Amino acid sequence: MEFTLMFLVSGLLIGGAFGFVLQRGRFCINSAFREVLFQDYTMLRAYFLAVVVTMVGANLIEAAGLLQPAADGTAGQLYRQAFVPWANIAGGFIFGMGIVLAGGCGSGILYRVGEGNLAYVVAVFGFFFGIVITKFGFLKPVYDLLISTPVFIGPNSDIVPTLDNLIGVNKWIVIAVLSAVMLFFVYQGKPTLKAKKGYSWTMVGILAGLIAVAAFWASDYFGGRARGLSFTGPVREFFLAVLWGNSQAASTDKTMTLLGMTFSWSALYVLAVPIGAFISGKLLNEVKLKVPPANELITVLLGGFVMGVGAQIGGGCNIGHSLTGVSTLAVSSWVANAFIILGNWVMVYFKLIRPMRDLDV
Amino acid sequence: MAIKDEAAAQTLDTLGRVCPYPLLLTKKALEKLASGQVLKVLTDAPASAEDSIPRYCEKSGFTMESVKLEDKGMWELYIKKS
Repeated sequence: MEFTLMFLVSGLLIGGAFGFVLQRGRFCINSAFREVLFQDYTMLRAYFLAVVVTMVGANLIEAAGLLQPAADGTAGQLYRQAFVPWANIAGGFIFGMGIVLAGGCGSGILYRVGEGNLAYVVAVFGFFFGIVITKFGFLKPVYDLLISTPVFIGPNSDIVPTLDNLIGVNKWIVIAVLSAVMLFFVYQGKPTLKAKKGYSWTMVGILAGLIAVAAFWASDYFGGRARGLSFTGPVREFFLAVLWGNSQAASTDKTMTLLGMTFSWSALYVLAVPIGAFISGKLLNEVKLKVPPANELITVLLGGFVMGVGAQIGGGCNIGHSLTGVSTLAVSSWVANAFIILGNWVMVYFKLIRPMRDLDV
Repeated sequence: MAIKDEAAAQTLDTLGRVCPYPLLLTKKALEKLASGQVLKVLTDAPASAEDSIPRYCEKSGFTMESVKLEDKGMWELYIKKS
């Protein structure tokens, strides 16, 4: 009984804290990638900072033996996603395009629901639609084809490729080099914890990273797998639980049944993200119920759908891959992330840069 | 005289618009103004009002004053093109 209560509380706390921090720090990975094209690297620095914190923190807790041992007694490990080249590439690119149309990334659309823009509610529904149509619906044949060729390494072809085992160096060397490069870039932006209002980019990068590390531990302890923060699977699991009574979580994942609905641990924190953002926004008097013009609403719906398709194919979104996955050094996430950025840039060019040239404001 | 008390050359209404339109439309409107003119922007997107637009103005050397309508969850931003 006690364990079940903490299952619920830990999920809500982590999701709520994440939503609160995202809102207060205006953290959006879609913006981070997009603004590079406009020579503004502030959000990118926040993102890099979050990655460094998550990468170091998560690998430290793994090395310190803080994760639950596997069924066969071996030391608990972070969940590193299998490398499925075509899926990671296509899915990442499609997702990158979708977030531009939707006006936010996987975490961005969730937290902005808490600020009251109903367009983001539409985006979240579109996201769910895209995910489910790809995993279970009419796009399933395409999905099944794209995920049918995973690439493993090692003498028995059963090891998930990571940056370190691919190159053949100690993981901590890779982590040290990546952290040094990213922190150098972060430092150039003159990090500061002070902000006139809300959280500075430095603060939000650090806090988001810390919450991501906590999520690795909590998802492992309560959920049965060190999945960390992610939104694609969890959004799917949340809606499946509410609509059909069962998250249909992976067989390795623990669940909890509440009011007749069986939830995975991650599904519960999805619910808490907009709530945490709402609390932060309300305290700052920034919450207002609003809608965009009608044609923008359609674009957002389409964007959410495209995001969902891309995220399901690619195996993750800007949090699942770009923050969590990248921190585990899984090759799948580094490849997917590169293509998320490319997809973002391509869509920014066609949807935002080119049309704006002729626009009469 | 505070910028917000000067007559605005243009009022740009971005209420309800999703990211990144408040910033993008603001940039576009400012392009068309002459130096010294004031653009008034209405926005209810916290990330734009508190983060991206102020940062853009600072980078471009434009002065910005922000009037937050606390009970309405929206902002009036007054930007003077330098």
